[in-house]
Amino acid sequence: MAWFIGVDVGGTFTDLYAFDQVSGAEYAYKTPSTPDDPSRAILSGLDALCDEEGIAPGDIGRLGHGTTVATNALIQRRGATVALVTTDGFRDLLEIGRQTRPKMYDLKADYPPPLVPRERRFEVVERVGPRGEVLTALSDAAVQSVVRAVAAANVEGCAVCFLFAFLNPAHERRVGDALRAALPDIHISLSSDVQPEFREYERFSTTVQNAYLQPVVTRYMTNLRNGLTTRAPQAAIGINQSSGGLMSVERAGDYPIRTALSGPAAGAVGAVHIGRLAGRPNVITLDMGGTSADVCLIRDYQTDISNEQEVAGFPVRLPMVDINTVGAGGGSIAWFDRDGLLKVGPESAGAVPGPACYGAGGDRPTVSDANLLLGRLSPKGLLGGTMALDRAAAAAAVQPVADRLRFTVEKAAHGILGIVVANMVRAIRAISVERGHDPRDFSLMPMGGAGALHAPDVARSLDMREIVVPPSPGILCAQGLVVSDLKEDFVVSGRYPVQDDVLDDVARSIGDLVADARRWAETSARDAVRQSLELSFDMRYVGQNFELRVSAGAADGLEAGPAAPDADALRRLFFEVHDRNYGFYNPDDPVEIVNIRLTARGVLPKPQPAAAESRSVDGPGAVAARPVWFAADAAVDSQVFDRTALQPGQTIPGPAVIDQLDATVLVFPGDTARVDEQRNLIMELAL
Amino acid sequence: MNGRSDPLDPVTLEILFNALRSVTDETFVALMRSAYSTNIKERRDHSTAICDPEGRLVVQADSSLPIHLASMVGMMDALRVKFPLDSIAEGDLFVANDPHVAGGTHLPDINMAMPVFVNGRLVAFVCNIAHHADVGGMAPGSMAGGMSEIYQEGLRIPVVRLIRAGELQQDIFDLLLLNVRLPEERQGDYYAQISSCRLGARRLDEIAERYSADVLSSAFAEIIRRTERRMRDAIADVPDGVYTFEDVMDDDGLGAVDIPIKLRVDVSGDRVRFDFTGTAPQVRGNVNVTLNATQASVCYSLKALLDPDVPNNQGVLNVCEITTEPGTLLDCEAPSPVAARANTCQRIVDVVIGALKDALPNAAVGAANGANTTAVFSGRDPESGRDYLYLETLGGGFGGRDDRDGKDGVQVHITNTSNLPVEAIEMEYPLRVVSYSLVPDSGGAGEYRGGLGLRRVVTPVGHECVFNGAGERFRNPPWGVFGGGDGAMGRFAHIHADGAERGLEIKPSGIVVRPGEQVVVETPGAGGYGQPDNRAKAALRADRRSGKFSDAYMAEHYGEATSEKD
Repeated sequence: MAWFIGVDVGGTFTDLYAFDQVSGAEYAYKTPSTPDDPSRAILSGLDALCDEEGIAPGDIGRLGHGTTVATNALIQRRGATVALVTTDGFRDLLEIGRQTRPKMYDLKADYPPPLVPRERRFEVVERVGPRGEVLTALSDAAVQSVVRAVAAANVEGCAVCFLFAFLNPAHERRVGDALRAALPDIHISLSSDVQPEFREYERFSTTVQNAYLQPVVTRYMTNLRNGLTTRAPQAAIGINQSSGGLMSVERAGDYPIRTALSGPAAGAVGAVHIGRLAGRPNVITLDMGGTSADVCLIRDYQTDISNEQEVAGFPVRLPMVDINTVGAGGGSIAWFDRDGLLKVGPESAGAVPGPACYGAGGDRPTVSDANLLLGRLSPKGLLGGTMALDRAAAAAAVQPVADRLRFTVEKAAHGILGIVVANMVRAIRAISVERGHDPRDFSLMPMGGAGALHAPDVARSLDMREIVVPPSPGILCAQGLVVSDLKEDFVVSGRYPVQDDVLDDVARSIGDLVADARRWAETSARDAVRQSLELSFDMRYVGQNFELRVSAGAADGLEAGPAAPDADALRRLFFEVHDRNYGFYNPDDPVEIVNIRLTARGVLPKPQPAAAESRSVDGPGAVAARPVWFAADAAVDSQVFDRTALQPGQTIPGPAVIDQLDATVLVFPGDTARVDEQRNLIMELAL
Repeated sequence: MNGRSDPLDPVTLEILFNALRSVTDETFVALMRSAYSTNIKERRDHSTAICDPEGRLVVQADSSLPIHLASMVGMMDALRVKFPLDSIAEGDLFVANDPHVAGGTHLPDINMAMPVFVNGRLVAFVCNIAHHADVGGMAPGSMAGGMSEIYQEGLRIPVVRLIRAGELQQDIFDLLLLNVRLPEERQGDYYAQISSCRLGARRLDEIAERYSADVLSSAFAEIIRRTERRMRDAIADVPDGVYTFEDVMDDDGLGAVDIPIKLRVDVSGDRVRFDFTGTAPQVRGNVNVTLNATQASVCYSLKALLDPDVPNNQGVLNVCEITTEPGTLLDCEAPSPVAARANTCQRIVDVVIGALKDALPNAAVGAANGANTTAVFSGRDPESGRDYLYLETLGGGFGGRDDRDGKDGVQVHITNTSNLPVEAIEMEYPLRVVSYSLVPDSGGAGEYRGGLGLRRVVTPVGHECVFNGAGERFRNPPWGVFGGGDGAMGRFAHIHADGAERGLEIKPSGIVVRPGEQVVVETPGAGGYGQPDNRAKAALRADRRSGKFSDAYMAEHYGEATSEKD
């Protein structure tokens, strides 16, 4: 079982990455995605990869998969027909949401209509109170009547969402059981299963999205598994979750909403892996593709996790890698706003027609056109690429911008890049300085095709000193899927004042969560070489409505679980986090826990690429030279290197360009790039 | 061009503008997260901004509230009158809240401004404004009605120096805190605002270091100039003419009813003048509005109608020429009470849209729920023995639009605050939410119908509580446009233990609610857009299928259309 495979499905390409645990060999393969059924590209890509590289499919031990099926179904509103069963008096809650508008001044902007229209939202007489007590019992007659209503609605899925079900799921379970018994063909999602936490609108919304996705994702998962089982019967399939960790195909079918950010989360896992190999625990990633850039903060080899994200306009309250997306990509279009200021994006030329320089009919100025005009991108296109870039077309597209600004075309191109960089800088500030982190303490890790082109400008704007360019920035997501662990998150929600007598309740709840984790490990994490548990609390001052995540210890194995700290220690931990986030804390104010979280991790064997020796400082020389406009006013003759030929230990002083198959790396005058033992490029920026 | 860059070309300016927006966004988040008041943390009733040394607003955080736009400038005006620039030193910090002498709009909004010096030269002020949960006065929360003078509404703060050259003026701080309920919490809110100012000053300093103070100053002027130009270009596209409209406020809670607001809009070239002459004199109750809140409401309306994406700064304020008569509802004088000015501001927006609807038929919308319906429950928690106060403002219908229905159950125009989750209410207060729903039949008919109002029913658990409320459009319905029908009015009601329902006043106060009794809050819907006869068949089917409209309503407003088969 030597081979590990990672498969990342993007909007344009499906990337496969194979690693042989025995020999250390690695291969990458790229094939166009098949959006109507993404499993087609995966299976044909796998066949081609095995063919070309002589991999016996029977030797594939594991396949990790990052999927966009759920994300796309939400964005394109192509999920299932769903019903909602909810507490009497609250049928409209899903539609009212938080009663806010997405844009204050826009009289026409609304949040999207709910995924379940009003006529398919059914009320049931029942009520649980704020301590989990039953205020109004659920009668058999009520259950039967709602089952009849759901049956008549002719749906593929049904969400069951009752108030306070996170404290007492009995009513939801009874209705769920009755629905399953009567309507075995429809998928059922209970709010107490999908997201057992308080704040009903977000829980209901998350559960409804889960129900909406279940039929679609289950169908997809079944196709994929059938296709893989015939080819690679020994392969254990792991589906990447939005929080960065694998789960089984079955769980992905039951909880598809957990895959809403599956793809980008894989990139973050890949970045952590590269960070470990390079010995860089604190990293900010910059994943720039054709239409957008994703940024993510990694601290002590951990990605920041957020429970407060939106997908396609709906809140999803599940742990997800905290990724901030901004409309800044190679295809982003430059335009003049009504006040005459130059803007770049979010509109993008996309893959079709693409930037003007692709010569496929695009005539509006884009970021890639600007990069080409400044010599930052090679007119030959990417190294080994088949598509040459059309400099004349790029110049024609940028010329009107230059004319309006009364700039040279190079200066206009430089301005376009300056603005797209400013947009990315703002996105990074939002996930770093706005959360109490100083970017100067982090290395910038560019990924995607365009990340490394802009990383030096981005880093300089943030006073960051170091850039780490992975060996293959374009397939980092697929690589991340090969190094992902199995992971499951468990939560208990309630209100626990932080005082010693209440902490007994907390300890009991932790015990229950540890038992849940053991059950999970027995069924879903049998391949793991070892397990670990991480305990954290969502805490706040009594009266506050924002919680902070406080890490409260980890333990190896599944026996006891991490011990809960005592009240004093817990308060101290909270103060520390409060101080980091808000710059102060009040030692005398009462503190409470609102969520107890346990993350179980099943650690899988990891590929360990052999470290190369740093042989020499003089590796191969430049393969070419070209003028590059690093500044707006003049070009500098710059040496061009082939990344694949570079040797560990080799140092390249700027100005230089390092071309590779899936990216272009810029070394600015004064900066130096060094190849480390893992073939990362470590770039030091001159101040 | 010879390669040397003009520091204020549209590229440099955009990049610098971006950095300034980052500063206001960062200070906005920092204030939200570190404050104590629910109003700030959960409802985001706060704003952050940068002003130039002349007190002109340059940049506001994206999430800032429209009504805070003018307060900041109002405070800066008052500050500059009282403190000559040469008396302002590095490390100073000013605070104010008074609507009558310090440019505020109501007392709970505490304004702060901190000068930023670069190499000894004053280059900017960083400002913020936050709605504190209490500023003293007769009633907890400092928002209650029934008072006839601002003195009863809370502590009035003129522009004062709270920090002098880095030194907190403890005697002033003690005075501020002694006059509010829960001073420890308010102290936390003040600290949150102070550290947000300091953070902003630090960030601005970093930017000045990168670009120089001179570039920063000319960028400020250029941003304002470009925004004003952009607004004027948009105004120039509005057909010249005189447009008038009139509407009324329901009441002031102290006896005045159907209080008229009159508007004449004069559009000529790239100028637009708003003349509110003929509007009612100021009233005894707290729905009065100071001139700068009127200005904020007009700016909101114009921006929403013409160019929702235009940056919010002095350039927008500059184009709104406003005429009012001092001593009237929209330009009130001391000591008139103003706590509930938001209701009146909502009505100003309706009136501006009403006036300009014929000039801008594709941007205009039907009258929205026109209110900031407020429900306050207070009492003593029978378990903890502690007093509690739960305040909520509810949305309602949004008006029908030229290409789509009005949104149901949503905050409109100048407010956009979240509701408190039912589960949060019940875990925090001894209250039970019996139901939370849309009000059927409450949206005005039309080619594009108005949105539905909200209904929330609440009952106390194990104790007697007191209910106070403030409604608007409870006796004057939200009107439709271009033939669209009126939306339903809102109402408050008290359901007794025997099930009998009794209607309450529009601004009820001190209603005792016993266990087993319920309070019903029903907010107004909104007006429709266009002739009901033109409503699409599919939309009519959806109206009936969803149960949002009864058969009787459909028959009355759409006549034969209802006989169409599904």
